[in-house]
Amino acid sequence: MAIINQATKELQVKIVYYGPAMGGKTTNLVQVHDHVQTAAGNKGKLVSLATSSDRTLFFDFLPIEAMSIKGFKTKFQLYTVPGQVIYNTTRQLVLRGVDGIVFVADSQYEKMAENVESFTNMEENLKTLKLNLADIPYVLQYNKRDLPNVAPVEYLEFLLNNREVQVPSFGSTAHRCEGVFETLNMITRMLLNKFIRQGTPQYA
Amino acid sequence: MATLPQLIEEDIERLDYELRELLEKTDASTALIIDKGGFLITSQGDSRQFDLTTIAALASGADMANQTIANLVHETNFNSVYQQGEKHSMFVLCIDEQCMLTVIFKASLSVGAIKYFSLPAAQHIALQLKIAQQRDPGSGLDLSELNLADTSDLFKRKG
Repeated sequence: MAIINQATKELQVKIVYYGPAMGGKTTNLVQVHDHVQTAAGNKGKLVSLATSSDRTLFFDFLPIEAMSIKGFKTKFQLYTVPGQVIYNTTRQLVLRGVDGIVFVADSQYEKMAENVESFTNMEENLKTLKLNLADIPYVLQYNKRDLPNVAPVEYLEFLLNNREVQVPSFGSTAHRCEGVFETLNMITRMLLNKFIRQGTPQYA
Repeated sequence: MATLPQLIEEDIERLDYELRELLEKTDASTALIIDKGGFLITSQGDSRQFDLTTIAALASGADMANQTIANLVHETNFNSVYQQGEKHSMFVLCIDEQCMLTVIFKASLSVGAIKYFSLPAAQHIALQLKIAQQRDPGSGLDLSELNLADTSDLFKRKG
């Protein structure tokens, strides 16, 4: 969970990008890394623990600092999980200490079953960590909207956002950086609002 | 998941003192206290030649993987891990359920000394964390100084 260091006035928050394999989670982080506007020195290196064919093996990691928060040095740590089904143990590990989640769905029709499976898997993995999705801020990103065979947003909403409380969702074309910052800003706002409202994240 | 207590300046000073003592006794380069979720809590020593934020994230990931391997070989816990390099080596020791101590040191140094002095340091750190917990177990945090100057654009795209 988030670390608040009152001594050094630092707030550290962990956001995990989750979703099916090849859905664009790593691309989101690459685009944030390439395009984020920062004051000097507050964008970290993007670290990818990937296979030789650029498939995420363990996680990608990008530390960045938001520009417009005063009073605390606010550091966001962005992680992705490996989407491939076989790496479930790794996904559980990366979710440890998560504060907010971006679920990156693949908008193509043929990927709908994988989207639903991945979403269910996310809920199950959170349960193993004694976490409940309803208690964690999360947003949905419907990626690859530029492809010809995409399902309508309404259909994706029906599959993934058909709940008592609907969460914000964004269409995106991550490789063109469309929808990437909108998604990141929304999950960040949700997290900060939760912290301010509850006043009880964790420690330090 | 259990969480750390809220630490105040006095706690951080004590943790830093323990790390400085450890570095002095061992000649190690850098010592870090890392939250197992991947956050760097505090560090002492050389912070210029190492990217400590990334080391914290990766060390916690490696630790989590090691604990999973421990379970697979019917161990409850691998309490410490030593990674040997040619120039620098690293020793990771579990402090408590939430934190771990990571020591980076020149490969020419004896790992025995690092292990020997790291153990009491980890115990002292664990004790300070316990004191913090007992001080105010249900304490929330003070975010009164947090000010969202422009909530519509926390992260801006260049150009």
